[in-house]
Amino acid sequence: MNMEETIARYKEDFDLFENPNDKIEYIFDLGKKHTTLPDEQKNDTTFVEGCASAAWLVGECKDGKLVLRGEGTSEMAKGMLTLLLDIFSDRTPDEILHFDPAKLHEMGIVELLSPVRQQSLEAFLNKVYAYAQKCKEGKNNE
Amino acid sequence: MNKILEIKDVHAKIGNKEILKGLNLDLEPGKVHAIMGPNGAGKSTLSKTIVGHYDVEMTSGDILYKGKSIKEMEPEERALEGIFLSFQHPVEIPGVNNTYFLRTAVNAKRKFEGKEELNAAEFLREMKKYLELLGMKSDMISRSLNEGFSGGEKKRNEILQMMMLEPDVIILDEIDSGLDIDALRAVSEGINKMKDGKRSFLVITHYSRILDYIKPDYIHVLKEGRIIKTAGPELVSQLEEHGYDSIEEIQ
Repeated sequence: MNMEETIARYKEDFDLFENPNDKIEYIFDLGKKHTTLPDEQKNDTTFVEGCASAAWLVGECKDGKLVLRGEGTSEMAKGMLTLLLDIFSDRTPDEILHFDPAKLHEMGIVELLSPVRQQSLEAFLNKVYAYAQKCKEGKNNE
Repeated sequence: MNKILEIKDVHAKIGNKEILKGLNLDLEPGKVHAIMGPNGAGKSTLSKTIVGHYDVEMTSGDILYKGKSIKEMEPEERALEGIFLSFQHPVEIPGVNNTYFLRTAVNAKRKFEGKEELNAAEFLREMKKYLELLGMKSDMISRSLNEGFSGGEKKRNEILQMMMLEPDVIILDEIDSGLDIDALRAVSEGINKMKDGKRSFLVITHYSRILDYIKPDYIHVLKEGRIIKTAGPELVSQLEEHGYDSIEEIQ
């Protein structure tokens, strides 16, 4: 499933819920599958600046693909990270760099996020694009 | 004979009144057993006794489910093991959302069975298949449990729960009462869809009408707290014609 197909699948999921609260609750639900990072990987380099609650994102270049792992501290961050990693992780840097973030709106949830959380999403995307850029340039980093 | 549920010489009372007086009944896997009997024979008490309803005190006898005694089990343990009762009068619970209620129940059972819990989207997807089959409006699932539901809607909701919970023994206590012909058809279709050759059904009814839709393998006549006759489906027409009082004569 490519990035667009993954988004389409989530759109289908979110469309099942008639009211916004249920959509948000589904994000929390997704967070139950949220993974954590070892403490040593939660540092200044991996910290997502501008996130409403503390979150860290690790990006590793493996076999030409960017593999992302993250940890959030709030229910919302956990849920959104699970969803976003599903979309962005394990893709080639080119796929990510050519991806139009406006497509995320198709899921019908971005507009439900508070302004602060929309900023967090922006901060997450910046970090992902930075990792993708480095991966493309052949620098493996965290 | 292969048995999924064995009711052995059960005596049970409600308050101080003994209702079941040495009742014996075996359910076979994959079969539909119908219980018929006059008012006050103990039909609802029997269903409540099987699920461990707090109204009923079982004073002696035993109930084995898949060979294991369940008489000391709490109602929720029996439900997790796979016994389901569709209530004659489903309870209204204002403030408890129908979808949450059902998802919590389904996930509790999945957890008990060592399966992964369904997330909200997976659950809704599953449920919507059945809503259509049962002719239920989608707003019914977002309302409070049974609150303001018509008689037919309540029974459809019971069948929805049954379909989602996938039980092994299904007890339907007067599922046909208060149903118009469309609801009866929808409910019966839901029940028939659950037949898989392994599940066992106990259909408790006053009237033979439902048995035109859910074909029984056995008819048991319950009278004065005991099963007084067991026969094939041909017994239905005899009962229709001569009434319950004729049963002693038939024996």
